[in-house]
Amino acid sequence: MNKTININLAGIIFHLDEGAYESFKDYLNQVKNALESQEGGAEIIADIEARIAELFSMRMQEFKREAITMEDVNFIQATLGAPQDFEDDSDEAPHTSAGMPAGKKRLFRNTDESIIGGVASGIAAYFGTDVVWIRIIFLVLLFFTGIGFITYLILWMAIPEAKTTAQKLQMRGEPVNLSNIERSVKEELDGVKERFGRFREENQGTGQSIRRTVNRALNFIINILEWLFRLVFKFFGLLFILFGLVIGFTLFIALFGVIASTWNFGGIDFVSIDGNILGLNAAEAVLGSGIELTLMRIGTLLTLLFPILGLTTLLAKAFKRPLANGRLVNIVGGTSFFIGLSLLLYAGGNVLSSFKVSTTEMRTVELQGNTFDLRAELLEESDGFLFEIDDDNLRIENVKLDIKKSFDPSASLAMKHRARGSSNSDARKRAMQFEYPFEQVGPVISLSEYFTVPEEALYRGQELEVTLYLPIGSEVYLDPSVENLLYGIENAHNMWDGEMIGHTWKMERRGLVCMDCEEIDYFESEAVEEQIEALELEIKKLKEN
Amino acid sequence: MKIDNTKAQMRKGILEYCILGILDSSDAYASDIIDQLKEAKLIVVEGTLYPLLTRLKNAGLLEYRWEESSSGPPRKYYSLSDSGRAFQKELKMTWEELQSAVTILTTRPNQS
Repeated sequence: MNKTININLAGIIFHLDEGAYESFKDYLNQVKNALESQEGGAEIIADIEARIAELFSMRMQEFKREAITMEDVNFIQATLGAPQDFEDDSDEAPHTSAGMPAGKKRLFRNTDESIIGGVASGIAAYFGTDVVWIRIIFLVLLFFTGIGFITYLILWMAIPEAKTTAQKLQMRGEPVNLSNIERSVKEELDGVKERFGRFREENQGTGQSIRRTVNRALNFIINILEWLFRLVFKFFGLLFILFGLVIGFTLFIALFGVIASTWNFGGIDFVSIDGNILGLNAAEAVLGSGIELTLMRIGTLLTLLFPILGLTTLLAKAFKRPLANGRLVNIVGGTSFFIGLSLLLYAGGNVLSSFKVSTTEMRTVELQGNTFDLRAELLEESDGFLFEIDDDNLRIENVKLDIKKSFDPSASLAMKHRARGSSNSDARKRAMQFEYPFEQVGPVISLSEYFTVPEEALYRGQELEVTLYLPIGSEVYLDPSVENLLYGIENAHNMWDGEMIGHTWKMERRGLVCMDCEEIDYFESEAVEEQIEALELEIKKLKEN
Repeated sequence: MKIDNTKAQMRKGILEYCILGILDSSDAYASDIIDQLKEAKLIVVEGTLYPLLTRLKNAGLLEYRWEESSSGPPRKYYSLSDSGRAFQKELKMTWEELQSAVTILTTRPNQS
């Protein structure tokens, strides 16, 4: 008994014995490979298939058979000739199939050795390097710029997969001829055979049916486990990519941010609000206008050059229009990438080290009276940005207002200015330099929403904590304008900062108490209820004991 | 130098002319052409012919039409186009010149 396989040749159905089918398929594939890249190859293949169909039909009629056997396939091969006979090698026929010169490589994705899409192993095959290096480059690019991810995606889409044996050979730059194809197919087949053989040995070694069954079951489980592991690995791979995407993309944007912020392209304020070139200001506020700014500028440009150049050459290759001197471009790009990266790291390190030490400087001013109306109307914040350069000063909008109990008889306003620096003295010098305008007119205390430091001081994490110290019995009204300044003010009702606005508060022994809040009962009754509940619980426990 | 190779080269050179010659007398279907060529021992296997026919057709020298067949799929019947006919005539002249030239050359008595 023989199993048959049905095939459709030129619209006619044939039944082929299993062995005959395998042999015929191999033959036809080889013929196709030989003809594929010839002009009109598809048409020739169709003609040949029609001819084979005709020969098959003739033989079936002649021998009164239904199924095609090995004999028929051998007859076909003898009649039509070996695959290399199909190559039309007369001089005027432009064909490349068998004659692809050795070393002429094409970029394919190598899905046989892939983690994700086979891009890295394809590129490795193209450059004849170990795939590990390509993967490392991708990962580095992924984590440092995110370009790795985008490049990968684009390449994944642009580079075709190496599906046929001919393409697999072209991928490695081996000449596509029949003997090579045969060798490559054989290698693949041998791999399959070996695995199959091992499997068979394991299953037939003992001859005892029970052991065989157990073996088979074990094999089954191992196969399932293997499959599961593979799935998990793929899953982690995907997760990895997603993480990479997020991190990489952020860094990518950040790098562009550095570009945008360190370069003012011909005075075009492309990131501006109210006429201020925000980015440029920010960069100058942090980097100053000295060597670090220059280094950052050159560094970012050099760093970006590589991915851009690399992408260009790879895309050019993917679309089969290789740049004339792509290698040189890559070398230049790679060198500039490393120089740029070291410049960035050096400048970044310098800047970071100037944030090392933190010190504070305190100034206290006594206030007149014991009833206050607190406002923030002197210098008002223009936007939500932390710092920006305004004339020769650096505006820092990082003021935090707190109200605390004072044990002195009179109220006072304390300003604690914090700043960082490369050394203690550097930080101290910086901490002393700050301007925070405020004034008292009768009960009205006008504060500012930001403070200024000299531009040369640069932004080094400066912040200002303004604390209003109130003696017990004094009152303060919080004008809505101070809303942005309030920062975690403790009060007897546990109210949020935002809720404290627009009310008058009195400093009592237990803290700030609201004089005109309507919902106060709610807050207090809730606290009382909680206390009662806790007491009841305790009583219960005592009784039980 | 292999003799088989040289023989094959010689045959290949005149194959196109022979195909055009066969089609000059009557339209034919690939199998007919193959049979005649096989009989003349100009080709050994059919595979050689298909790429050649397609190339000649693409060059505008041949035309084809489909015809139903009782056994198997429809057949491609090839015929000479006008330019194919002109091409064949020119080849014929060249062949005759060649033939006489070769004859004269190879049968000339040795004179040293």
